[in-house]
Parts: sequence; C-alpha cells; structure tokens
Amino acid sequence: MNVDAVSDIFRRVLENDEVRADSDFFVMGGDSLLATRVLSAVARSWGVELDFDDFMTSPTPDALAKKIASMA
Amino acid sequence: MSVVVVGAGLAGLTAATDLAARGVEVTVVEARERVGGRLHGIEVAPGSWVDAGAAYLGERHTALTALMAELGLRTTPTTMTGDSRFALHGNGEGRTRPGRFPPLSAVALGELFDALDELTRAVRADAPWLSERAVRLDALTADEWAREHLRHPDARLFFPLFLGEMMAADPRDVSVLHMGFYLTSGGGVRYLNAFAGGAQEDRVAGGAHRLCELLAVRLGGRVRLGEPVRAIHQDGEGVTVTTSAGSLRADAVVVAVPPSLADAIDHRPGLPVPRSGGRTAPGCAVKVHLIYPSPAWREQGLSGWSVNARGPLLSTVDDSPPDGAVGVLTGFVTGREAHAFARLSPGEQRERAFEQAALLFPGLPEPTAFHVTDWVNEDYSRGCYAALFGPGDWTRLGPHLVAPHGRVHWAGTETSTEFFGLMEGAIRSGHRVAAEVAKRTTTEVTTTHERRDEHV
Repeated sequence: MNVDAVSDIFRRVLENDEVRADSDFFVMGGDSLLATRVLSAVARSWGVELDFDDFMTSPTPDALAKKIASMA
Repeated sequence: MSVVVVGAGLAGLTAATDLAARGVEVTVVEARERVGGRLHGIEVAPGSWVDAGAAYLGERHTALTALMAELGLRTTPTTMTGDSRFALHGNGEGRTRPGRFPPLSAVALGELFDALDELTRAVRADAPWLSERAVRLDALTADEWAREHLRHPDARLFFPLFLGEMMAADPRDVSVLHMGFYLTSGGGVRYLNAFAGGAQEDRVAGGAHRLCELLAVRLGGRVRLGEPVRAIHQDGEGVTVTTSAGSLRADAVVVAVPPSLADAIDHRPGLPVPRSGGRTAPGCAVKVHLIYPSPAWREQGLSGWSVNARGPLLSTVDDSPPDGAVGVLTGFVTGREAHAFARLSPGEQRERAFEQAALLFPGLPEPTAFHVTDWVNEDYSRGCYAALFGPGDWTRLGPHLVAPHGRVHWAGTETSTEFFGLMEGAIRSGHRVAAEVAKRTTTEVTTTHERRDEHV
C-alpha cells in the first residue's frame, strides 16, 4: 500500500519519472545527501524515523515500504 | 589601447592574458610580492606542494579545465579510501564510521537539505536580486533562517558546519539570499558538497598556484609586483593609476580584487555605488596543514576525513602528495572558529591544532611541521573563499555587479554569478571583462573612423 507513495517520493527527490517499485535508489543516481531527503519525507508521511543504514539495506520503494510497514 | 589590470590573482591574470592576446598593451599591478591572490602554495617536502588557498575543481569547471589544458597542468584526484572520523558530540574524541555520512539523524539532515533545496529553487542564479522574494530573502541572515526552518537539534548542529565547509561563512554573516545564491551558483548543494562527481573531484597537480605562476611567466615584464594601488583617477582622456611606486596612464582599467579592497582604492570620480556593502564580511577561512612523516592514518584504515562540532579544526582531509613523501592533514577552520583561532598566538594555534588532531587520530606521531594560513587577516585578500554578502547587500549591489564605472571595469570571482567564490568564477570573470574592454576598444576605434569618414 505504501509502495506507490514511496515511489512518488523517489521520483520527486531523484527528479526522475522512471522510478519503479524495484528501482534501486543509488543505481538511479541517488546519493547519501538525497537519501536523507527521502527519509525526511518518510518521517513526515508515516512518522517513522529511519536511519541511513536502514535505507542502505532497503534502497528500493518496495523494500523501503516493507520496512516502514514493519516499524509503523 | 592600453589597460592596467589591478590584481594578479586568477581573474586579473586571465583578463591580462586575453587582452595581451588581442594586442592590447597590458600592465598588471599587484600589491603582494607574489602573484596568485587567494591561490597560494606551500612546499611541504622538496617538490611537494599543498594548497594554502583555493584547491578544488570538478568537471563542470569548464573554464578552469580549459585553462589547465592550455597551461599543460594536470589534475590529481581527491579519492578518499577508508573510514571517516566524527566528533560531533561530547569531548571531541573521534568516532569511526564508514563513508562520509555523519552519525547524525538522517531525517534531520533531510530536513536541512529539503529546506536548502526549496531555497535554492527560489533564487535566480543569474541575478539573485531579481528573485521573486529577493527583498525578503535579503533581509534575513542564514542564522535567522535556520532558527525558522530547522527544528531537529541535529539539523541545527550540522548547519553551521555545513555552511562553514561550503562557503566559509558564519550563518550570522550572510543573508539567506546570498546563501541560496552561492549554493545555486556553484551547481547546487549536491554538486558543491561532493568530492567524487562534484566540485571537489580533483586538485591541480603541483598546486593551484601554478595556474597563476604560469600565466605570469607568459605575461613576463607586464606584471609588476609589490605595488599596491592607491588611486584610480579618470579624466576625459584616460585613467591615471597611482601605486606605491608611481603612476601609470591607461585608456581603461580592470579592477580584479575583492570588493572591500576595490572600495579601499581612491576612485575619482567617486563610485556611485560601492563594491561592498555595510554588511559585507570577509570569507572566514583559516587553513592549517599538519605535516607527518607519512600518512599513517591510512594504515589504520582511515581516510583522514573528519567532521567536528568543536574547533578549531571543523573538518580535516588527507592532502598528502601522491608520492607519499610526507603525510599531510589539512584542517579547515571556518566561520566563527576562524575569528577565534586567528586571535590566538602562533604557539597557542599550534597547541590547539595538535591537541585536536591527536584526539581525532590517536596514535599518530607528533607533526614534523605546521603551517597556518589566515586568510581573514591577509591585507590583500581580506577573506577567503570569497566576500560574504550580508543582509541588504545583494539587493543594493547586485544590479551594479559588472557595470563599468566610466573607464573602470570589474573582475574577480565576486563579479561572476556563475561559480561565485570559486576559481572557475574568477576565470569566467576574467574572460568576461577582457571581452568587455576589447569591445570598448572596437567601439572607440569605430567611432574615430566614422568621424574621419565624415570629414572626408
């Protein structure tokens, strides 16, 4: 359920409409600075504060949505 | 056509080179006994140089890259391998982490970068004073902006460190408009912040000062050192430039020094608008170099990179020469810390820097040498990386940034809206002003010809 919303966050931050549920953030041109912007958007939307290492192990919308769901 | 260029930094020497190539009779007058301005090298081992001033470049710095190719200079990558050290909380002891990401809340840093992203989008890079909310953005300091936009304590902790590193500024010294402009002008927060793929991708092999030295060699006797310019007086026929050693006569002048130094010259007629404003502050950077027998931190798996909440060294980077002749840790003392550090005696500076380096990198031997370059108190730079425009400065000064004052034209990195404050900005300003002055010649010559035609 969160996958679409997380994908939208990726698209906005990466300024790239090609993002799909299984797109790897870092392969799509993301870096650690942009990753923090995804995490601040996640915190705003779902009240979940993930750290950078969480994102490194779940760098796709699909994986990140699962992580959010497990923590929310 | 004769032109006097004031200042033998990168901007002045670029302008002089372009003008000489167009057949203009050029004289460069420089206050110091050396060329280079904010580009300066220190020899740390026989034949090994480190940058005491401007150092870095990236692939978007196209004018710089072209100049280096022309001068036969090469780049050295700033590749960092190994873990970083962070001392962001507590007693200043370092904590080891992989990569460059600080052990702070990622959500907090995201909040900071979101806010900066929104700001940079609101600022017009080509003419910040024409941005939609220019007056409002120019009324606030970056410090006031941070209090309003940053809620998370980690964001507030990191912001001054970030601004110190990006633009050598204390958040209380710059307007929000200047901060937004600077970040946009340099290619955006991401580009400016990055080493690999960003504005710190490379250094100039042999030292950035080589750029100016090689330009000066080509200009030969046209460059005069140790002659501070006191006055620039214009009359109907030309310009008289008075230096400590005498006076020179020219058809036009290029002033290629930082804004507050341009204002310190006696201009006649007087400048309708000054080059710096009441709130313009010097870029607050002191660079220190700790020299070790070898880069021993590498043996501990460390890159030499550190970020620290407490001064004097707010960050350190490994600047060891490629041949490994010595180990060099460069420390950046920026913003508020720069002023505090500059007030210490040389002995105290040494003690404080050694003490902090030992906490950050335990087990290193005592440094064999120590260099401090205090740009804040350099009479002929007054700050580094660049002048910091405070509240009200951009809206007042911006419209006149490059407008010639009669026969006097302006150059310097602070006159470039592209890559402001960087070597790239200085070079672009030099090319721009040379074209501007050359056009002036053409127009004057054409006018003379036309008059002749009328008489025929």
